[in-house]
Amino acid sequence: MRATNFNRLTPYLFLAPALVIMVLALLYPLGYMVYGSFRDWDPSQSLGESEFTGLANYVTLWNDANFRESVGVTLKFAVSVVSVEMLLGVGLALLLDRNLRGMSILRTLFILPMMIAPVVVGLVWRYMYHPTVGVFNRTLKSVGLESVDWLGQHALLSVIIADIWQWTPFIFILSLAALQSLPRSALEAARIDGATGWQQIIYIKLPLMMPVLIVTGLLRLIDAFKVLEVILVMTEGGPGLSTEILALRISRTATEFRELGVAAAMSNYLLILLMLLTLFMLAYNRWQEYRAAKAQRIMEGGV
Amino acid sequence: MLSITKTLRTAAAASVLIAGHAMAGPYDDYAGQTLVVNFPAHPHYDAVRKILPEFTKETGIEVEVDQLPYLKMRERQTLELGQDEGDYDLIAYVVFSKADYVYADQLENLARYFMNPKLADPSYDADDLIDGYVYNIGFAGGNKGYLQGKTGSLFGIPYGSETSVLGYRKDIFEKHGLEVPETYEQMLDIACKIPELEPGMGGLSSRAASGHHASHAFLLHLAPMGGRVFDDNWNPTVNNEAGFKAATALKTIVDCGPEGAASFGFGEALGSFLAGDTAMFLDTTVVAGQIDDPKKSKVVGKVGWAMHPMDVRRGSQTGGFGIGIPKNAENKEAAFLLMQWLTSKAGDKLVAMAGGNPSRFSTHNDAEVNAKFPHMATFGEALKHADPDWRPIIPVWGKINADLGTTLSKVLTEDLDIQEALDGVAARAQVVMEEAGYYTWK
Repeated sequence: MRATNFNRLTPYLFLAPALVIMVLALLYPLGYMVYGSFRDWDPSQSLGESEFTGLANYVTLWNDANFRESVGVTLKFAVSVVSVEMLLGVGLALLLDRNLRGMSILRTLFILPMMIAPVVVGLVWRYMYHPTVGVFNRTLKSVGLESVDWLGQHALLSVIIADIWQWTPFIFILSLAALQSLPRSALEAARIDGATGWQQIIYIKLPLMMPVLIVTGLLRLIDAFKVLEVILVMTEGGPGLSTEILALRISRTATEFRELGVAAAMSNYLLILLMLLTLFMLAYNRWQEYRAAKAQRIMEGGV
Repeated sequence: MLSITKTLRTAAAASVLIAGHAMAGPYDDYAGQTLVVNFPAHPHYDAVRKILPEFTKETGIEVEVDQLPYLKMRERQTLELGQDEGDYDLIAYVVFSKADYVYADQLENLARYFMNPKLADPSYDADDLIDGYVYNIGFAGGNKGYLQGKTGSLFGIPYGSETSVLGYRKDIFEKHGLEVPETYEQMLDIACKIPELEPGMGGLSSRAASGHHASHAFLLHLAPMGGRVFDDNWNPTVNNEAGFKAATALKTIVDCGPEGAASFGFGEALGSFLAGDTAMFLDTTVVAGQIDDPKKSKVVGKVGWAMHPMDVRRGSQTGGFGIGIPKNAENKEAAFLLMQWLTSKAGDKLVAMAGGNPSRFSTHNDAEVNAKFPHMATFGEALKHADPDWRPIIPVWGKINADLGTTLSKVLTEDLDIQEALDGVAARAQVVMEEAGYYTWK
């Protein structure tokens, strides 16, 4: 009996070291942040010295118009960049999924933007948007058009464009990989049945790519919610709060306002938001799989 | 004859040696120690690095410098100062850190060092240090808690401090027969005339970007216009007549400024003046070196300097850095000796000659320094009016400052009504002050 118990416990015994490391490396910092969010915590104090304030930080944030504006900006930014990047990335992948000469060089060139350090990207775009010496306004002026106040009147649009430039290649590369691993038999069958190029894309390629696209979109969305350096360098969140996304507000709350507890609470709100999004995406994926399996069963039953 | 000379020489050498032992130099006990100091990446501290070998040569104390971008420096210090034993013996701190560090009891009170006859140099002449800088950067615990006063004491010494002056294009002013502005009215008038007189050129370069930049620019005008952020009872007064006038001045400057001025940070504002796109620049004295550097500036030799214009009073900014000894430093006494050496008359002149910002009146009046940097005399004059209270240095200032700056940015870019904007800032500041306990005694 004892030997059976021991045998049953053996796998857990082997799992234990990994579990301990995970608890220490992953859950401890997370727990620290959650614990900190219930306290009035100044950077000069250790967490233990700070005063317990319950849910005060969360309630304060809920009533803080600046925080709400920041959430709005974050949602606008994330949804815009991910939608456009998905559209462009997948579109480019569909266009370039063929045997072109020099394709490997083209692919390397495409992914260059995402290899550049975010601070550099921010600086480069900031100077390209510069009202007088920036390349955009100089070009506009050279063709006789009015110059545009990029980082003043159109700040959010300007940072969205910079992000799209940097991250569309990520979607492109993953979509291309997904496309190239699609079963050729399905595409050939469609072609034989007389499907047009568009029909192949809409009814065969996109549905088959969907699991990869969902994960890719999710990864980008999570990343877009946390982007900091590019916006910090380009606009510092301005003008007003028009580009102050949550990650930037968290950073300012911790360093400028020296309110670590409030910054931790804000991080937790962001964490909850991202977890909800992730769960929604996964549920959607499951539902799609379930529908596909059901359709398969019906077809098999019909046969 | 030869042997007499030899004997005399030997006797002289021996007497020097004996005297040396009997009267040890102030640095002898510390020679061989290595100090670790934390300085910002800033033109003044670049100059300091050039003179540190002189200190080591004179004292035998080695200095290791950890130089960081100034925002990064503050983050690192926050971590370091909270430890039981810190890595830094001497730190440079930006002025708004004073409130945080002193309040958290992380900086040494300098009284016990200046009282120690073995450490304090009698020829130090503290009265020669610029008053506004000392009160702004060094003092805490006095009036309003962060200024000089009967209950205050010294926690740091200004080093790399700055005030504001007006830089103007001599060639443009001469060409159009313009007088150098003495008052705000004259300055604003010229700022808006320039774009008409010199198409494509802005009147005055100013910081205006959301956050700290816009707030800084507003406060720069608030003090000369007779305003303060708070009254003596900590009630916000940014929305009074002076505040309205200061915000209106800022808006006028931005509207008559170079293209895209509303999104200018300090770098862009300075860059625009250096590129010759604006006729005036009202900001910190620290830029003088760059304006005279042909690698960075297209306006070398064309810039004149004048006092920060006055309105109802004179009041130029005080800012920059000070140096202090952390409570958890390992070599505090040697750190004090370095601090004293750097800010002494000789040290201050050395750093000024190396391109740094002097902290003493005597250095600003020094003939040799003036021969090398002719603007120094004007800067020295401006310093007499440096206002240590042009912005409050209280722990909650970061939050109020950010709100003020983002709201003013909306005034500049989204045409938010000035009075409405300032009323909003005042109301929100009142809540922050209430929460921080400033109305406990009401």
